[in-house]
Amino acid sequence: MLMQLTLGGFAQGAIYALIALSLTVVYRSTTVVNFGHGDFVMAGAFLSYVLVVLAGIAFLPAAALAMIAMFVLGVLFSKGLIRPIRGGPHIGLALMCISAGYVLRGIARMVWGREVLPMPAVFDMEPIFLGDLVITGDAVFIIGTVLVLLILFFGVLALTDLGKMVQAVYQSPRGARLIGLNVERFNDFSWGIGAALGALGGILVAPVSLLHPDLGASFLIKGFAAMTLGGFGSLGGAVLGGILLGLAEQYAGAYLDSALIEITAYVVIVLVLFIRPQGLFGRKAVVKV
Amino acid sequence: MPSARQRQLRTLLFWAVPALLLLLPLATNAYTQFIVNGMLISVLVTLGFTLVIGNLGQLAFANTAFFGIGAYASAILSAKLGLPWIVTIPLAGVLGALGGFLASSAALRGIRSYYLAIITLAFGELMRWAYLHSKPLTGGTDGLPLPREAMFGISLSDDTLKFYIFLAVTVLLVKATLNLMRSRFGRAVMAVRENEIATASLAIPTARVILVSFIWSGFVVGCAGALFARHVGHVFPESFGMLHLIASFAMVLVGGLGSVLGAVLGAVLLTALPEYLRAFPGMEELFFGLIVAAVLVAMPMGLASLLRRLSPIFVERYYREES
Amino acid sequence: MNKLTSLMAVAAFAAAPALAQDAEWETQGLTDDAITIGVMGPFSGNASSYSKALIGMMAYYDKVNEEGGVHGRKLVAVQEDTACDSAKGLAAAKKLISQDEVFMLQGNSCSGVALALRPTIEEAGLPWIVAHAVSDSISTPLAGNIFHGVPTGSANGRAMAAFVLSKPDTENVAIIEHSNDWAHSYSNPARDYLKEQGVEPTAELTMERGQTDATAQVLKLRQNKPDFIIAALYEAETAIFLRDLKKYGMGDIPVMGTAGTDLENTLKRTGDFDTVKNYYVIHSYVDNLDGEKMKPWGDMIHKYYPDEELSTFSFVSIGSAEALVSALEAVGPDLTRSKLIAALEEVRDFDTGILSDPITWTPEDHQGVKGSAVAGFVDGEPTVLKAWGQPY
Repeated sequence: MLMQLTLGGFAQGAIYALIALSLTVVYRSTTVVNFGHGDFVMAGAFLSYVLVVLAGIAFLPAAALAMIAMFVLGVLFSKGLIRPIRGGPHIGLALMCISAGYVLRGIARMVWGREVLPMPAVFDMEPIFLGDLVITGDAVFIIGTVLVLLILFFGVLALTDLGKMVQAVYQSPRGARLIGLNVERFNDFSWGIGAALGALGGILVAPVSLLHPDLGASFLIKGFAAMTLGGFGSLGGAVLGGILLGLAEQYAGAYLDSALIEITAYVVIVLVLFIRPQGLFGRKAVVKV
Repeated sequence: MPSARQRQLRTLLFWAVPALLLLLPLATNAYTQFIVNGMLISVLVTLGFTLVIGNLGQLAFANTAFFGIGAYASAILSAKLGLPWIVTIPLAGVLGALGGFLASSAALRGIRSYYLAIITLAFGELMRWAYLHSKPLTGGTDGLPLPREAMFGISLSDDTLKFYIFLAVTVLLVKATLNLMRSRFGRAVMAVRENEIATASLAIPTARVILVSFIWSGFVVGCAGALFARHVGHVFPESFGMLHLIASFAMVLVGGLGSVLGAVLGAVLLTALPEYLRAFPGMEELFFGLIVAAVLVAMPMGLASLLRRLSPIFVERYYREES
Repeated sequence: MNKLTSLMAVAAFAAAPALAQDAEWETQGLTDDAITIGVMGPFSGNASSYSKALIGMMAYYDKVNEEGGVHGRKLVAVQEDTACDSAKGLAAAKKLISQDEVFMLQGNSCSGVALALRPTIEEAGLPWIVAHAVSDSISTPLAGNIFHGVPTGSANGRAMAAFVLSKPDTENVAIIEHSNDWAHSYSNPARDYLKEQGVEPTAELTMERGQTDATAQVLKLRQNKPDFIIAALYEAETAIFLRDLKKYGMGDIPVMGTAGTDLENTLKRTGDFDTVKNYYVIHSYVDNLDGEKMKPWGDMIHKYYPDEELSTFSFVSIGSAEALVSALEAVGPDLTRSKLIAALEEVRDFDTGILSDPITWTPEDHQGVKGSAVAGFVDGEPTVLKAWGQPY
């Protein structure tokens, strides 16, 4: 049972990790936390649905197209709505993100509000039985995809010139601007990447669940919990936080009470911020006055 | 700054509005009266919210939590302990204030900005989970109905009677908040928002300022929760979910962050508008989302800033135009 | 203060005519060629898929109107959105009652909203036929003007438990559900029935809306080895739960679901017959959703709402609309609210041709539908059942 829960926890955690990572990408470069991110995730899932079911495109190209579309949307959002209020207080930025999320949700509701949409299964494979352990296609596909993506992401960050540029901006946006980097454009690009990665979370979830406009809300909180646990602003921490949250949910649900699955994320947020606000790897979250 | 004459005019205006409102029930039916009653509740919720996010400048989203605490406190005290509902209003306020104290304890531990937003969101959802899973006390998913009750020989299901009570509570709390913000304390609140460290260096106890602001916000919203419990007559966990947050945001922003007058305007306007949109169900999220985005870009200080330009009598003394 | 009390007296006086059941009140919302009916439902918000029930019901009004109406009067629906929110629902009801001044109300899908509405509508006194919400407390204790036109939660929950126990040698029953009023309205009566029969559920689990994985729950069940599982879960979570059940090698355990799901769509969703072959649902109808006897009703809905996708909700409110029309017929052309209420209380064993159980309203009992059939796959075909192994 422990092994099975661990596998399930990894599969769920992989999705949370992806969402926390995409939130962190935006946060690190722009210091904005996207409170509408859950709805970006939902939008990604719905876009892939439109492409697969309504336009008849195969899953993989459809997923790629949906991610590209969400990338563009993220860039446009940054250019059109975030830039004009950048200098303002945090509250304005947070509210802008929330309202963008509600607009996306409103659109989804207008079009599909009264139907619950099934997405055809994509990774159909016979489950593998290893003694007591059952390994399913979904789990393999989700964990595999996220793993490949993470290797790619951290590889680019550590080994390429682009990655060095990103790290430079992270360390000092002003310094980066002085050496001629276009930080504004870099920020737009981060919003695009964040939106696309978040959308991938939605795309991976879509075939194993059903689509409805409120899909994103719970993922936003899971993303926050993962980020908080891993340490706000730490890319690696976000990933680890996501996996740990996935595992914690499974263990709490099976060994304590299944009613606890729903609030694991909230409890994690409250406990971490009160006991160890810097999370596992982050810088201190508290302000000293 | 308004002159002495203008200040007199302002006082007159302040009391003229509720005085005129006393006549309102002559012009309403049960439906429109119900909507007006809902507006008064929204005014209080928005007021409490704007105090923390506008005046104090803290990103605390615990508003729905305070509201739910107030509503459940009122319902439990009147249904389980048999207290008259009117008595539960200040008690609900006190429990809301306790919620405010908890939220401030997070802020005072240095959990600020986005962290504060996230932890207060989590707090709200944990409360909702608690309502769901404490069935003996809260009725769980079936919710808790308020007992039938009469005052002055009139049933409390009567919307006109409720209106007069709601109006009295609202006027009282709005006036108290205005006075609070015009006092030394109000200036300290603004100072904390502008620069906490500099304020502390002036020997102003910033921690106490933050604490009191949260507690007052919790009190106002908790009282609003008690009104809401009677307004609907039945409290359900679903009424206090995150979905209701966007409407609160929109009310605060449209009225103008950190403005008492703005809170009133925003709440009245945005409670009324969706009723006109009844013919187009499902547009609400889109509508509120677009409004918030538009106000942020085009009119970040909301309607209150327009009024301030119109006449100095609308200037709230310690409110600074840009933030 | 003096002014205030006198004003209140004036206001109370102004409100008084609405309470007095005088002649004018009796025919409010009625003209020579129209009966206005307030139709409340969740036309927006996260429960808007339930509003299909009201679409089906209004399609039936359209059909009646096309055939000439009732005693020359057309049924005119005045639609109001509740968004499944109690405050919004209350505003909708007050609008229909005191602003639109409709003759009667029919509809409402969300039990929570209906519970919040009950005191207001009871006080207003106009007839209300609850056409979709299932909570028993909407119609018990009896309110003179409130009629329940669908099987209530207890009727459904008991039918679920009875079906579970009708399978020979069922001893070990597990329950999995959402923690919301909808799920509890099924599971609590089911628990009561089991208890009456001396069966105590051996495992009680929750799975929340939006969870995409049921591993923890299923593994708990695997240790528990139930003979039957009662699942009060929405469509999406039902599909996920069944999928995970099969995944972990427990696909042979029968699962009893609610009227919120149906076999056809659950099969479509899981895309795999093996996953759903042991799934049973409460099915309040005389035939399968795509069966012969249901086809005319589906065609009727599509005639007036061509783009409407049909689900199990689409048909649930039509039966009560038929009963309403029969009561209106019985009253005759000289219609009043009191006469309609009296006629509704005369409805006995009314066969709707769509609900599996007849509608009976008496002056003592307004819960009209006392039972539900069950549907399950028999030889690969969805089949309506009375009990384990017994076709309807």
